[in-house]
Amino acid sequence: MANKLGDYLDNVRACLKIDSAARGNVTREIRAHLEDRSQDLKKAGLSNEEANKTAVDIFGSPRLIANQLNAVHGQGTSQEAFLAALPHLLVAFLFATYYWQNVLCTSITVIVTAGIVVYGWFHDKPMWFFPWLGYYLLPVIVTGALLVYLHQGWSWIAALAYLPLALFAIAYVVKQTASRDWLYVSLMLAPLPIAYAWLLALGIGNEFLTSNTPLARLQVNTCGLVVSFLVLAIASFAFVRVGHRWCKVAILLIPLGIILISVALTGGGNVTFAGWLILIISLVAVASPAWLQLRT
Amino acid sequence: MSYERELLKGNTDCLLLSLVNCQPTYGYQIVKELQKRSDGYFQFKEGTLYPALHRLEKDKLIKGKWQTLPNGQERRYYYITKKGQQVLAKRLAAWHDFSTAVRAILQPETA
Repeated sequence: MANKLGDYLDNVRACLKIDSAARGNVTREIRAHLEDRSQDLKKAGLSNEEANKTAVDIFGSPRLIANQLNAVHGQGTSQEAFLAALPHLLVAFLFATYYWQNVLCTSITVIVTAGIVVYGWFHDKPMWFFPWLGYYLLPVIVTGALLVYLHQGWSWIAALAYLPLALFAIAYVVKQTASRDWLYVSLMLAPLPIAYAWLLALGIGNEFLTSNTPLARLQVNTCGLVVSFLVLAIASFAFVRVGHRWCKVAILLIPLGIILISVALTGGGNVTFAGWLILIISLVAVASPAWLQLRT
Repeated sequence: MSYERELLKGNTDCLLLSLVNCQPTYGYQIVKELQKRSDGYFQFKEGTLYPALHRLEKDKLIKGKWQTLPNGQERRYYYITKKGQQVLAKRLAAWHDFSTAVRAILQPETA
């Protein structure tokens, strides 16, 4: 019973999904409050144990209070929401203007993005940083997907060497992100299934090095591609602005599902059974944090 | 009971801003002050105060600062901001108009 206050604070801390600085402030503040209340109750004649228990009871459910605090701290400002939408807007811009074909423009974008990712990583990982981080997983996953199309035999050797490395990198980033909040894993991974769906729909793979067909298809579908990243940008903006966690889940997953189905249908026969399977798996991977949210 | 709770919910910001406006204060003192001034009318789980305070701080209506007392205890004191004072003035005016109108209807003889 002597640890009643400590246990209570541990429960609050476990339910808080906010950055470490805010979490520290919140728990310090709650600790001060509980100690004050317990002190007053002891002065009123209660024993140490009774005072601590009553202080905690009067304070309320740790989960309820943590959830309310999550809603307050999980709601970003308009500037933060814009920053979260910006990487998707940049991708849409690169494709809309065909600047993606310009090596200089693409290089500048990659360097700027790298700078932002490094900055965010070492500055307490703010909410707006996770969509930027997601784009840094894109080359890892796309390279892995393209290995399948190497000459027979080589693809197995390359895959054996590459897969553990790629999985380690992805697992590390996901673990770091999840330690902040599982929902940010969804926000981070959101561009990946879209990019992969477009790769499948446009037939980029076995045709990648051998024909101009994918490029021609890309030009025909530029509008769709731009729209899909614009929709993702709007979803990311809304995700940051909304406070309640279930609203965040819905705001991210519903547009994502619609985009994936639309892209896959755009590709018509290009998307094979295996392609559909991988798409579904990637969507499940993005949606899994929502499932974890349901369990906690 | 839920009607009273809704009334309190709708006026939480105004009550908290008013108390912080009187003097810089911290969470536990706010709870005690609310109970004392309302003669125990406001009953709520004390922890629910903090999400409300943090929301006001996020909206830049109040500002929290840690202070260490001479006995070593730490308190997070809240100060009202200029924006907070403006919002409070508007809310008080709106509340005054509203309560006058309600009283005029519910108790016409005293209005």
